[in-house]
Amino acid sequence: KNITLDHATAIILSCRLDNKHSHLKSLQVTWKKGNETIRHNTTENSWNIQLMVSDNSKLGSYSCTLKGEEEFSAIFHLQVPKIEGREKPIVTYEGDTAIMICKSLGYTPIAWTWYMTNGSKQIAINDTLLPDKYVITRISANVTHLKILKLTKEDDGVYCCEAAFELGKSQGKTKLKVLSLMAPLRPFLAVVAEVVILVTIIFIYEMYSKKKEKYAEGEKEFDQIEQL
Amino acid sequence: MQAKHSNPPDGGYGWVVVVSAFMVMGLTAAVLKTFGLFFVEIQQHFDELASTTSWITSVTIAIFHLGAPAASSLCVRYTHRAVVITGGLLAFSGMALGFLGLNMVWMYATTGFLQGLGIAFSWTPAISIVSHYFSKKRALANAIASAGECAFAFTFGPFFQWLISQYGWKGALLIIGGIQLNICVCGVLMRPLASSCILEASHSETETPPGNGATRMDKEDKSPITHKTFNWMLVRRPEFILYAIFGILAAMSFFVPPLFLVPLSYSLGIDESWTASLLSILAMVDFAGRLLCGWYANLHITKTVHLLTMTITLISTSLMLLPLANNYLSLAIFTGFYGFFFGTTVAVHITVLADVVGMPDFDSGLGLFMLIRSTGGFMGPPLAGLIVDVAGDYRAGFYVAGATLVLSAGFLVTLDQFQQRKERGNQTNTKQEKSTLSYPSLHLLKLQ
Repeated sequence: KNITLDHATAIILSCRLDNKHSHLKSLQVTWKKGNETIRHNTTENSWNIQLMVSDNSKLGSYSCTLKGEEEFSAIFHLQVPKIEGREKPIVTYEGDTAIMICKSLGYTPIAWTWYMTNGSKQIAINDTLLPDKYVITRISANVTHLKILKLTKEDDGVYCCEAAFELGKSQGKTKLKVLSLMAPLRPFLAVVAEVVILVTIIFIYEMYSKKKEKYAEGEKEFDQIEQL
Repeated sequence: MQAKHSNPPDGGYGWVVVVSAFMVMGLTAAVLKTFGLFFVEIQQHFDELASTTSWITSVTIAIFHLGAPAASSLCVRYTHRAVVITGGLLAFSGMALGFLGLNMVWMYATTGFLQGLGIAFSWTPAISIVSHYFSKKRALANAIASAGECAFAFTFGPFFQWLISQYGWKGALLIIGGIQLNICVCGVLMRPLASSCILEASHSETETPPGNGATRMDKEDKSPITHKTFNWMLVRRPEFILYAIFGILAAMSFFVPPLFLVPLSYSLGIDESWTASLLSILAMVDFAGRLLCGWYANLHITKTVHLLTMTITLISTSLMLLPLANNYLSLAIFTGFYGFFFGTTVAVHITVLADVVGMPDFDSGLGLFMLIRSTGGFMGPPLAGLIVDVAGDYRAGFYVAGATLVLSAGFLVTLDQFQQRKERGNQTNTKQEKSTLSYPSLHLLKLQ
């Protein structure tokens, strides 16, 4: 089960056994964080565990395991809220403006930061340094916009928006593709050329068949005159 | 020369025109249907609301309907070919200028207004010229042409998505604009029928619905050129009014099911990909319905008005039954039925218009019909939305749509009765004329 936490809190995780295995209820359950076993105070019921989630280190995967003839286990993932970027890349052109949107689902981040990924490094985007290139706006509590003006080929790449929560940071990704204006122009000109060629062919064919008709009618009249 | 052109080709070059109209349908209506894929992209790029972005399509549809009568009156003065080529250029310019994407208002003006005008100028003459080229096989020709919309819509979905992923929405618009330029190619193929004035005069003698025959022939003998202007007098004809009211009611219900099918599907717990498959099913059975109905109508077993009444009744039945669906399979089956009968209706309703109005006034009739029908198209979705909000369930929308269609079928039946009565009245008139004619000849014999 996935559990999303955005601020420090106390939480109780409980595991429950299916009815068909209720004969195993009397056995004890081991709780683990990752691979390490947690030694917890023996409460009446080891099937529940209370955790104080106070900082990032407390987040992770917790599992309850029942060892008997068969081993049963269940896993809880305690995590920071997910950030929604954009799955499909944004395709733009040189000189154009691009707006990238990041949304936090349900939880309000403390702060937003935008990064551009260059290879494996992430470079933070400073909009105060380059105000006529980047504009970062926080539209609402959960939504941030990055507007990039006067796009060039160098702006092509993956952009990350990072939301800072009390318990940690979370990232969303958007891919930006910058094309030159020639890219769509080539297929466009190809189609236009095809249209012009077809229209010319059809016109010529029609002129030709009309001439043939007139010629044929001329011959008919000639024959009629001859008969007379 | 006259004898050669006294009948519409009903084949031959007509089939080239049908293919060309098929393409035009696809390049206009299908592009409009699939434009929704651009919504999110445009909305995010300009940082606007979803409702503001959706006005683009509203503008396109509005201009399409308002432009239809303008387009058909231009057809009457200039040729169909010229108007279609103009439409192609307009649609292309709309999309190509949309590539510049300056701001939202720019998008309204380009992908909204220009595109809508282009679609109106391409679609209306394309539909009309098919009816001009055929008489006996008209139903089949119209059906094949209208099937273009489904065929293209089916492929444009994934194709547009791929274009957007490769070139972004701006580049995709530019390329689609170029593709729409092919409308001009189709337009060039639409050869105008020679000496259409004389052609339409002889048309009216063979085809106008009974009751109009006597008065029309007088008019045409006197001035064969008068009917080349847009005929507003159509609104005075009761059959046209009946058919127009049918059009309004049908349009009110036609836009509702596609709108509510997706939310209804979600509310039943069906996920995104399965819902998308429902829409694909709809497109496929729509295509099949159009072709099958065209083939059947071509057999001339039933009168087109009767056929249309049957298809409308069948759609309303499927819509009334659709809310009974409670899982994917039943929803898919009912959607299939609805889509199939929707296709049959679309395939045949233009042919019925031609029968109601007669070929000389067909262009004017088509334009007027589209204009009047648009009111239904505008009222329908908001009204249905209101009823759904009040009832709290999407099923209510389907019941309303079904009920509106039943009402519209009533008008069709009235129209049919009216036409039949006129027919009977005319038959008795001609019988009386024949008997009076025989008397003078007897007189002559007596005198001799």
